Amino acid sequence: MKNKLFGLLSIVVCTLVLLSACGPAATSTPVVVVPTVVPSTAVPPTEVPTPTPPCLIIGATYGGSITDAGYNQAMHEAVMAIKTSIDCVEIIYAEGVPDEAGATTTMENMISQGATLIFATGNNHQYPALALSQTHPDVIFEHAGGWEMGANFANFFGNPPDGWYLMGVAAGKMTTSNKIGFVANSPFAWSLVFLNAFELGVQSVNPDAKTYVTYTQAWGDSAKEAEATNALINQGCDVITMHVDSPITVVGTAESRGVYSIGFQNLAAQQFAPEYWISGTGYTLGGKLTWLASTVIDGTWTPIFLRCGMSDGCMAMAPFGKRVPQNVQDLVMQKKAEVEAGTLVVFTGPIVDQDGTVRVPAGEVLTADNMSYVDWLVQGVVGSPK
Amino acid sequence: MTLLSILGVLSSAIFSGTSLLFTTLGEVIDERAGIVNLGLEGVLLVSASSGFAVTYLSGNPYLGILVSILAGGLMNMILGYLVITRKANQLASGLALMFFGFGLSALIGKPFVGEKIHSLTRYVLPGTAGLPLLYTSLFKFDILIYLVIPAAILVWWLLYRTRWGLGVRAVGENADTAFASGRNPHLIRYQALFAGGMLVGLGAAHLTIAFTMNWTEYMTAGRGFIAVALVIFSKWHPLRAIAGALVFSGAVAFQLLLQSSGVQVSPFLLDTLPYILTLVVLIAWGGNRKHSAPGSLGRVYQGSE
Repeated sequence: MKNKLFGLLSIVVCTLVLLSACGPAATSTPVVVVPTVVPSTAVPPTEVPTPTPPCLIIGATYGGSITDAGYNQAMHEAVMAIKTSIDCVEIIYAEGVPDEAGATTTMENMISQGATLIFATGNNHQYPALALSQTHPDVIFEHAGGWEMGANFANFFGNPPDGWYLMGVAAGKMTTSNKIGFVANSPFAWSLVFLNAFELGVQSVNPDAKTYVTYTQAWGDSAKEAEATNALINQGCDVITMHVDSPITVVGTAESRGVYSIGFQNLAAQQFAPEYWISGTGYTLGGKLTWLASTVIDGTWTPIFLRCGMSDGCMAMAPFGKRVPQNVQDLVMQKKAEVEAGTLVVFTGPIVDQDGTVRVPAGEVLTADNMSYVDWLVQGVVGSPK
Repeated sequence: MTLLSILGVLSSAIFSGTSLLFTTLGEVIDERAGIVNLGLEGVLLVSASSGFAVTYLSGNPYLGILVSILAGGLMNMILGYLVITRKANQLASGLALMFFGFGLSALIGKPFVGEKIHSLTRYVLPGTAGLPLLYTSLFKFDILIYLVIPAAILVWWLLYRTRWGLGVRAVGENADTAFASGRNPHLIRYQALFAGGMLVGLGAAHLTIAFTMNWTEYMTAGRGFIAVALVIFSKWHPLRAIAGALVFSGAVAFQLLLQSSGVQVSPFLLDTLPYILTLVVLIAWGGNRKHSAPGSLGRVYQGSE
């Protein structure tokens, strides 16, 4: 008995030693920059703030880490932007929230803390949120990038294909080997739409250039992303871009090999490619989420299927890298103006897929609601769409 | 299929196979001493997160590698305490160690997700400097890649050419006999686990500091288990482990090449190619009794009273 107790004790000690070895690391970590609001009227520092109940408690769930310089960070920045404009809101957030059961308990916990507006930003948080919206009719749920709608459940998202087209224009101008690499999660509809928009942009300035795609079959397997990036570069690709959760590994690996890269998800990706960055697009949904929160506060919220693009401020383009020539920058900006003015529509027919089948006939346009069903790749993309 | 793409597969295989080979070598030592470490995944994660954290905080990747090595050794000491001193079941202890590693590494790595580090310098492979740029970029490796084959030879020399290695193998074959011939099975197993853990730590360091150059939660994504499989693949021999790691990571690189070559095969199917290959080798070599597992692998040594 005594021996067993001693054994247990030694395990605890062993663990503590191991933990304490990393202790200094954990304590001196850099402060994560969370946008805080400076009150417009200066408050004397001696005054004790009187606790006033918040005008709205917002709960937000993220599927990954809010410092991934990618999708989750972009969503978190958008949610925190609400606080910058509407000071009286209180935000509760949880990162690394798993799918299904995990998401349900996290959101229930937020509701029990008084949250009446939930931003479920994980792709797989849609159905847990939808189920909860039926049992909590007094709580409003907003999901990112889904398709379901309900009385107190709506969907919001940016509209990335336009940005992908512009990135294609830049890539088509920058490549000299006419081989562009694309690391994607898996051949699901939106990845295929992005690939198609990108290659259409490439072809508009460089009909000989092809986009080579490899799939990692995961949103966040960074070692596989590095392998896929290296494989594409080893094949002769001299521009690399990606559609996985975090751009860090792909962009960083391309940089370490001296190859151009284009980011996606979050504009923060640029810091990982100080030399060979071309540009990138990311979600900047702060303004729209602030508007949604304000309609919840004044009681005018209605469920709308919200999709917004660059001209609405929901998507933005990162600054160009230092190796991008002025004429390329000018061309991209000119196309951007055309897209925003509506004179350039990316998916205008005729669009032909890899097998030669006409997918969008001449004179027609692929509409946003049909993009969720895309299962083909345009000519010029090398890789399988299934 | 050009020469460039074949060399490209080789280069990719070397890059991604390095961490796998270090990890496999570590497990070879553990298993030669008679201990199956199923917690490899957890050991890798804890080493990777602490190594990355120290690299970020100190700005020195070599210090990070050192910490990663030590963390690997320490993690294996936990397993050692459980299965050697406490005589617990090896498989259960290994799995517990793995889950412990999941949690601990997430905790250590949390503040460092999305941080940028100074990675290891890459040197052009001697003799390839005169080739065209497209080719030389394939053979620019960091110091850990250059060290991995010598490490395999060192492990082979330790196991087969030293008294210590003889002791390790003797304990792994039959601990009672080893004890009867005047060796201390407990001590030898602890030593083997520490040495093995340090090699696993080196593999973790290459994965996070030199290869992906960032930390994400659960970034090993099953590589610890692949290393356990590779030990069987290589018949518990450190030199055959070189081939095993190269073949496996070569298959991964090859399927990525096939995907982007426009081969109209489902990428989901191609993704299973390396595992199918592993299964085929296991089937082909499975019946060979000549190079079978260490005799008392997985058995608890009860001690001689």
